[in-house]
Amino acid sequence: MKTRNILLVGLCLLLVGAAATAKEYVPGTPMKVGFIYVGPIGDLGWTFAHDEARLIAEAEFPWLETVYVESVPEGQAGPTIDQLIQELGCDVVITTSFGFMEGTHDAALRYPDKIFAHASGFKRAPNMMTYMADFYQVYYLNGLVAGALTETNKVGYIGAFPIPEVKRHIGAYALGVQAVNPDATVHVRWIYEWFNPSGAKEATEALIADGCDVFAFTEDSPTVVQVAAEHGMVSFAHYGSQMYRFAPDYVVSGQAVRWEAIYLDFLEKVYAGEYTAHNLQNVDYWWLLSQGGVAAEAQPGVPINPMYADALKAKTVQDPVFGEISVYDLFFVRLQQFGEPGVTYDPFEGPIYDRKGILRVPEGMWMSVDSLITMEWAAGNVVGPWPGEPE
Amino acid sequence: MGWESWVITTFSRTLAYGTPLLLATMGEIYAERSGVLNLGVEGMMILGAYSAFSVAYTTGNAWLGILVAAGVGGAFSMIHAFASITLRANQVVSGLALTMLGLGLAGVLGRGWEGYPLMRPLSKVTVPVLERIPIIGPIFFRGQNLLVYVAIGLSVLLWFVLFRTQIGVRIRAVGEDPATADSLGVSVARVRYACVFVGGVLAGVAGGYLSVAYRPAWTEGMTAGMGWIVIALTIFAFWNPLLGMLGAYFFAALYHLSFRLQTWVAPELLKAMPYALAILVLVVVSRGTLQKRMGAPAALTLPYTRGEE
Repeated sequence: MKTRNILLVGLCLLLVGAAATAKEYVPGTPMKVGFIYVGPIGDLGWTFAHDEARLIAEAEFPWLETVYVESVPEGQAGPTIDQLIQELGCDVVITTSFGFMEGTHDAALRYPDKIFAHASGFKRAPNMMTYMADFYQVYYLNGLVAGALTETNKVGYIGAFPIPEVKRHIGAYALGVQAVNPDATVHVRWIYEWFNPSGAKEATEALIADGCDVFAFTEDSPTVVQVAAEHGMVSFAHYGSQMYRFAPDYVVSGQAVRWEAIYLDFLEKVYAGEYTAHNLQNVDYWWLLSQGGVAAEAQPGVPINPMYADALKAKTVQDPVFGEISVYDLFFVRLQQFGEPGVTYDPFEGPIYDRKGILRVPEGMWMSVDSLITMEWAAGNVVGPWPGEPE
Repeated sequence: MGWESWVITTFSRTLAYGTPLLLATMGEIYAERSGVLNLGVEGMMILGAYSAFSVAYTTGNAWLGILVAAGVGGAFSMIHAFASITLRANQVVSGLALTMLGLGLAGVLGRGWEGYPLMRPLSKVTVPVLERIPIIGPIFFRGQNLLVYVAIGLSVLLWFVLFRTQIGVRIRAVGEDPATADSLGVSVARVRYACVFVGGVLAGVAGGYLSVAYRPAWTEGMTAGMGWIVIALTIFAFWNPLLGMLGAYFFAALYHLSFRLQTWVAPELLKAMPYALAILVLVVVSRGTLQKRMGAPAALTLPYTRGEE
């Protein structure tokens, strides 16, 4: 008897659940959005930035309710999405790691009435959009500063994985270095992990032993900033304010992301009925400086640490357009060019040859978004291992 | 940049990175010598790291942080001791549970402690005269942490106790043949509890070293698998503290070099090198006659009950 009752109740719940699941979001009504994070919020990096954006969006829109699941293994996207939709009744699910792509795409087909957003991927569906806030312009700006500040003419970069995203960032960084200091080289070490403080520390120490004196990196902890500062060397914050705190005297500039710019824009359009579960096939946010998706800054509102302003003003370069210009001014001129609605400059402006001498960007051309997100080649002044380097 | 600079940075980094490995390995050697496998090293280390950081941050005293980490690590290890010695639970399961519990607990407690730099980390020492000795000076006596020396001294001491004292004989007897040790009046449970406690204390200190000296900062999951390397190093060391020192430093040197050598050797290969070489050495050394003399404690992972054999 008892068992049967439980079964019946269960069946009812399941039906109610199914009914709730099938309901499509009605524009103008309260919206529930579920976020899936790959790391812990406390990583102070990638996931932390997404969660800050979630909180901003929730504070901004009174009709918005959000839930999140953190530290979700990449293979677990599907079941987590099921839970968010069936048990928590989410109208929109946002998955924030490249590895969630397949799971999110499958779920989008499974729940055609729900809306999905996936960060950094390329698979879309009528009810699934993709978005990315990319740092490459910011890295170019950081590269200008690095090229001006290095005394050993060796600039260090600690990379997580040799994938196109990181290679693109190192490429832009190296081109920035080259623009102000043709003698300098960019030395790269890989740690093969997104988060590994010990690896980041030993990689930085290895670069210092090899003579590098300025550092940028892709790793989700402030370790590189700390190690560089310990040796009295400058670095660039990765994900902004949190890392600046660790070495306020040595963080010159950095890369900050504004996921909230994308979330606010997208969710508002869903709320207004502009985006629905049927018209997202071609929606891809590729937001850079001009859209406010990213920022170049040591900490919020401070593009360049004032302690280094004089050094950067003292160093001048010859620019074909601006004549003799200080690196400090060049930084802000480029920042303005990147920030204008019709962007008037790009780091990857041809002619660009890779370090093997192959012409990668023809004279006067810019790279397309497609060629940027599949970029594998290394810029001319990059030294060190480059797994997957095209022949 | 000559060979001196290579030698100096490599060995100096080896001491810095090898110290937490060494400390925790010493602890695990003691636990296993008494017959208790403790797979909870990662959990004890991360709790040590968290407690050391939070104490050092609030009090401004990094040594107090290390002290508290030692206590927390020791206390936490008692869960495993109680489960595996008193309750005779499966040591593998109980140890794994300890690791999961430690990682989870430190993650929850550590919320809100992330993103804060430690203003007064464990200070580094430079020995005035000795630092001027060529090569040796810069490696050992310039800018190293006091805990680096403590770890070396402790390893020698623990080796001495284990192999040259009555206490050591008892510990090894309990790990090899608890029934005989029991019949000779040695309290098997007491010795095992004590050894697991030593393991917990040292793992706690190792974690504390990471968060108040090596980094210094707190981040969830910051031990990043070091506890598992310790388990491997214990076997690698044939349960001998001095070999443990060799193993920990050997691994640390390879770990540092895996970044240094990337210009010449494929980084994927280098990433695997410390682990691959560890296995290789293990295979070579454990062959033949050495096997019998240097094998694992015979009673490792076996709960002891008087009268049952």
